[in-house]
Amino acid sequence: MEEILNNLYQMTAFSDIVASNGTYVIMYLLAFVLLYLGIVKHFEPLLLIPIAFGVLVANFPGGEMGVFQADENGRIVDATGKVLTENIWEMSLPAIAHELGLMNFLYYMLIKTGFLPPIIFMGVGALTDFGPMLRNLRLSIFGAAAQLGIFTVLLCAVGSGFFNIKEAAALGIIGGADGPTAIFTTIKLAPHLLAPIAIAAYSYMALVPVIIPLVVKMLCSEKELKINMKEQDKLYPSNNKIKNEKVIKIIFPIAVTTIVALLVPSAVSLIGMLMFGNLLKEIGSDTARLFDTISNAVMNTCTVFLGLCVGATMTVQAFLNWTTIGIVVGGFFAFGLSIASGIFMVKICNLFSKKKINPLIGATGLSAVPMASRVCNEISTKYDPKNHVLNYCMSSNVSGVIGSAVAAGVLISFLQGMAV
Amino acid sequence: MINNDISGAFMLMCVGMITVFCILLIVIGLGNVLIKLVNRFAPEETTTKKMSPAAQTSQSVDPTVKAVIEAAVSNITGGKGHVSKITKL
Repeated sequence: MEEILNNLYQMTAFSDIVASNGTYVIMYLLAFVLLYLGIVKHFEPLLLIPIAFGVLVANFPGGEMGVFQADENGRIVDATGKVLTENIWEMSLPAIAHELGLMNFLYYMLIKTGFLPPIIFMGVGALTDFGPMLRNLRLSIFGAAAQLGIFTVLLCAVGSGFFNIKEAAALGIIGGADGPTAIFTTIKLAPHLLAPIAIAAYSYMALVPVIIPLVVKMLCSEKELKINMKEQDKLYPSNNKIKNEKVIKIIFPIAVTTIVALLVPSAVSLIGMLMFGNLLKEIGSDTARLFDTISNAVMNTCTVFLGLCVGATMTVQAFLNWTTIGIVVGGFFAFGLSIASGIFMVKICNLFSKKKINPLIGATGLSAVPMASRVCNEISTKYDPKNHVLNYCMSSNVSGVIGSAVAAGVLISFLQGMAV
Repeated sequence: MINNDISGAFMLMCVGMITVFCILLIVIGLGNVLIKLVNRFAPEETTTKKMSPAAQTSQSVDPTVKAVIEAAVSNITGGKGHVSKITKL
């Protein structure tokens, strides 16, 4: 009887969980916190809930739902030191599914190949309106200033000695506040850090409603936050009014793709897909079916698999170590610095310009579209209920997506072939 | 080794920020050029402005009839009532 009970105990996940000294419990708690934030607090539920559930299912011993990270030679070793495969790159996808489980099949097919991030960018493009950016073109420059966090953290991370330059670049890209860009860059530069970087990037994106007000409160005065952009527009009207927005919106994605492709070819897989999605939207009824497919069915399918796979990479072995803690801390600084550098750029512009700009427009220079703009609009209306800055914030917010994709392209083109 | 990496990272920071600024400046310039060209060669908006159903209905009603209805409503309600929509039954 005792032997049967013992076998039963060994069959369940309890034996491994008890033997792990609580490490699995930490992962369950993390999954529950993320689920709580997604379900109860409504922080990016479309992303956080699949990620959190992926974390949960990946950390049940014997469940075979956790993703194994291969080293540079494709060798995979499990937690006990047992070699699971000598070279995963020589395995067929059915063999991966059979030997390593369903989640590894999805991960190595969809994520590791770099397939999902550009496809998600296509959906993001279909949901993006470049109208506010075109109507306030000069505000787009703050989308460039807000990329300073990426490069500053890269420099600091290399200086700390904990990260090599490729790992530091993957860490810095968290400051771009763009999940697909962070994943795409990490896959290219430091694939072994994908789990903590993806979770840090998406967690901080979900925490935009907390982080932006914190940085804004530290750096901006009430007088600055009360700057009314519409009144400034009336005082100093633009001499470049758009007479036919529809035509411009169709030409714009084609022209931007061409220019970026010529100057930073490594960013084309992101920018090109973003603009392709946007073009399908702007053409209108002729491509309405394609627009509907990429903005709903394709986008939602990709989001589900991306979230689950990213969550499943967060196993006890991959997540509970000092590198992860360094990434979580470094990612927060990258995020905060990106917001701060956008704000400082606005302050500098205000020193030299008669037409004043609300610093919240600089704070939205990082990506996280459109949540960052919504949060900044809430802040401005708190100080002055009539001061709606949403449209102006969307200008720098959308240009921030282009800026972070270009920054990723620069990092990839400089570092991908480099030996470390 | 770390010193090399730091100088490499610093160089990357300079190149990266300059590139991002240049690309966005080009995008801004491109946008301005496009706006000027389109304003010059295709200035007409092809889409018609959307009208609210109330406005559409009101427009289809003869102005004299509309004025009579408004006067009648004003008379009956003592000036408190307003006509927001006129629909043929």
